[in-house]
Amino acid sequence: MSLVEIKDLKVHYPIRTGFWNRITDSVRAVDGITFNIEAGETYGLVGESGSGKSTTGKSVVGLEKVTSGSIMYKGVDITKKANRTKLDYNQDVQMIFQDSLSSLNPRKRIEDIIAEPLRNFEHLSKDDEKLRVLQLLDIVGLDADALYKYPHQFSGGQRQRIGVARAVATNPKLIIADEPVSALDLSVQAQVLNFMKKIQREFGISYLFISHDLGVVRHMCNNIAIMNRGRLVEIGTREDIYNHPLHIYTKRLLAAIPETNVNQRAAHRASRLAVEKIYQEQQSKYYDENGEAFPLIQVSPTHAVALPENIAKQLASQEGEVQA
Amino acid sequence: MAENFEQHSDVSAADLARLTQEAQAEATPSTAKIIWSEFKADKPAMAALFIIVGFILFVMIGALFINTPKMMETNIMGYFNQPFTPEYWLGADSGGRSVAKQLIVGSRNSIGIAIGLTVISSTFGICWGLISGYFNGYIDWGMQRVYDFMMMLPMTMMIIVLVTIIPHYNSVTLTLIFSIFYWEGTSRLIRSRTLAESEKDYVSASRTSGTNHWKIIFREIMPNISSLIIVDCTLSFAENIGVETGLSYLGFGLPSQTPSLGTMIANANDPNNITQYWWTWLPAALEIIILCLSISYVGQVLRRAADASQRQGAAD
Amino acid sequence: MWKTILRRFLIMIPEVIILSILVFLLAKAMPGDPFTGSINPKADPQQIHHLMKINGLYDPWYQQYWQWVVHLFHGNLGNSYQYQEPVTRLIAGRAGNTLWLALFTMILTYAFALPMGVFAGRHEGKLPDTIIRVYTYVTYCIPFFVILVIGIWIFGYVFGWFPTTGSISAEASGSGWLQTIGSRFYHILLPGILGALFGTVNIVQYLRSEVIDAKGSDYVRTARSKGVPSKDIYRHHIFRNSLLPIAAFAGYSITGLLNGSIFTETVFSYPGMGLLFVNSISYRDYTVITALVLIYGILNLIGTLLSDIILSIVDPRIRIE
Repeated sequence: MSLVEIKDLKVHYPIRTGFWNRITDSVRAVDGITFNIEAGETYGLVGESGSGKSTTGKSVVGLEKVTSGSIMYKGVDITKKANRTKLDYNQDVQMIFQDSLSSLNPRKRIEDIIAEPLRNFEHLSKDDEKLRVLQLLDIVGLDADALYKYPHQFSGGQRQRIGVARAVATNPKLIIADEPVSALDLSVQAQVLNFMKKIQREFGISYLFISHDLGVVRHMCNNIAIMNRGRLVEIGTREDIYNHPLHIYTKRLLAAIPETNVNQRAAHRASRLAVEKIYQEQQSKYYDENGEAFPLIQVSPTHAVALPENIAKQLASQEGEVQA
Repeated sequence: MAENFEQHSDVSAADLARLTQEAQAEATPSTAKIIWSEFKADKPAMAALFIIVGFILFVMIGALFINTPKMMETNIMGYFNQPFTPEYWLGADSGGRSVAKQLIVGSRNSIGIAIGLTVISSTFGICWGLISGYFNGYIDWGMQRVYDFMMMLPMTMMIIVLVTIIPHYNSVTLTLIFSIFYWEGTSRLIRSRTLAESEKDYVSASRTSGTNHWKIIFREIMPNISSLIIVDCTLSFAENIGVETGLSYLGFGLPSQTPSLGTMIANANDPNNITQYWWTWLPAALEIIILCLSISYVGQVLRRAADASQRQGAAD
Repeated sequence: MWKTILRRFLIMIPEVIILSILVFLLAKAMPGDPFTGSINPKADPQQIHHLMKINGLYDPWYQQYWQWVVHLFHGNLGNSYQYQEPVTRLIAGRAGNTLWLALFTMILTYAFALPMGVFAGRHEGKLPDTIIRVYTYVTYCIPFFVILVIGIWIFGYVFGWFPTTGSISAEASGSGWLQTIGSRFYHILLPGILGALFGTVNIVQYLRSEVIDAKGSDYVRTARSKGVPSKDIYRHHIFRNSLLPIAAFAGYSITGLLNGSIFTETVFSYPGMGLLFVNSISYRDYTVITALVLIYGILNLIGTLLSDIILSIVDPRIRIE
């Protein structure tokens, strides 16, 4: 059994119009997505801004009101608040936020920030609690002097590590990492990501890693889901996604990864333009008449893509030939 | 689970005392301390604060030594006694009552009511604003409608009507009646700041940390708007001095046998008093002016100090 | 746009209904009945009982309320027990005075506040700005009635420049219309000026910060770099942009002016609705009290409505609620 099973999750926001403020339509931020997160793995959720990936993450951690669908954890549907309370769900599922400054209360000292989940879930003695906080600081590579300081006294990377320490405090099973490094400098990104990996190894934590940056995701994730306009367009292992992308949207995202090798600049540019050309010409092939993604079709045991069955098969075999 | 952490960290229970001490040496002063040190640097503001606190203590203690019913007895011998005489050093009013003594007791009553009103109405307004701003949706909508309705009521008139309805009122009931109508300004201010604060990720983080709504409102969000609250309370205090005195001036505040700064200024309603016997009302008017100016001055400096501490907080 | 206004208008209806019930119940709760002692101090209790009965004062409150509402819609607010005349006529005679004073105060407020706000913003941090800020600070924190009392003392009594009581002098009331208007104007001059001095704070502060913000904004810098003289920048670019939000203050300030009218009219013995209210309270003349509270409440509501409409024209974000 998977750690978390997300089934047909929908989050719609009503649009009210007219004189009586009736609900006439809705913004479908997340529109029927299904995937599983296995214990100990890092699951990547990738998409451009506005694709609904953050909303998905917030639903999984219980911050967002879900319209329909289910999120099963330990055999219980945690989209219901009562179930979350009964399980002490957030002891097991925590979150790391994108904006490290805004996610740490500016008026609280680091000790109180990291101890907050401990106080709510574990009720340790004062000394045990302080010891745990010090250990956590040590694990994310911060000194004990941080204890009585305020968030604004730290750099962005340090703050994000404090955020990681808080998320790890109750030794959770799953951490939702919502663009944890996209606000950081490139050099600092690697540092934070390495801490996250180290913690995963040591504590056996799963991550739901939400990002728009396929470069970072490649570094972190075993399984990846590509999200577009509230739906999943492609699911697969790292190998599937990076080497055999089938959906045009995935291809576009991959083409957008900056190429560091200057010599191949021209070739890279040409392939990017080619992908863009296909996208412009063949939109109708990849999306249905409403511009929405098709249901997912399994093309291999690990790989699924949102295309009509015949096209999916055809593309998969083409892709196979090229690779062979 | 604790072992799990032991295993992966070099820190153990043995280091606890040493590390705590080290951390304490590096501790950063709290925001309250920063505001206070900023405030202390402003000499005129400190002077104003001392004057206010000293004056309030003076009238509170002084009033204890004055027998109010006896003071309010008519004394024909003292009828409109001139000020600056040994017996009546601020003169006497039409009933021969000492203006100086009335001023002390009246200040005690008026300031006491203003303090009470500030405490009650600000507490209520702060809670209202926090709750309304935090719980978006139907709760906020409902609370906003109540707020709109209260704003529509003609305040002074409603207070006067209530005062006439209640048969035996005293300063406590009066304070409560005022409080019904004076929380809106605070609540509006607090609500708009709370709306902005609730959007921030630290609130989400607290929710995923299992903290309940009330703790989030009062322990997470409220400290973040504390400087706003301090400044608003100070300014409301200055404003509230005018509330009771104004009503007493019209004759609907404290009963006539209970001196108040307002009833003393009401002496000015008599065209003879206002020019000829100016000492019956002018001291009270001047006192209100000085008091309000110094309290708001303290409030202004507090605001500046709070802004400065915010700047320090934001700088990184 | 029209939808916003209409919806805003519909929200008003329950508010007015609740207000009327509240006002009615408060009036009922006021001590004393209107007949005892008012007709004849030695009146027979039996006769009073009879009068109460035919006036429906023993009916359940909702029936009395309904009667009251029905009369209200016929323009009948009852009789004043103190003056023995219809409340509508009584109030109509006073309303003009209050409204003229309020209008005059508002005009003066804008006349003072607009130049002060722009001037302070333009010379931010310099001496004129400091003076204006001290002025707003002083007028903001001193209670209104204290300003009125000090004002009437200095200008009305000590210097004797202004009349201290009434709305028209005895000589002028009998003579030609020119004297009448002159005398009326003379009587509202001092209360108007004092009210305006007190009411400028919000507008001055708003305008000052608007001007300071606008000075640094791109469109002003563009205009400046095109060589537009700074006088024109202030007049055409900055001032015009802030004009509508400032106009919206007018609606909100109605609440303040009405509240203030109770004090102004008492200090200046000016026969308007505020003074009528204070007198009626002393005489427990509750038909008048109810009518006045209701009128003031509805005027407050209209003021807020006006401001909201103006603001929704200025700022489309407010329209979608």
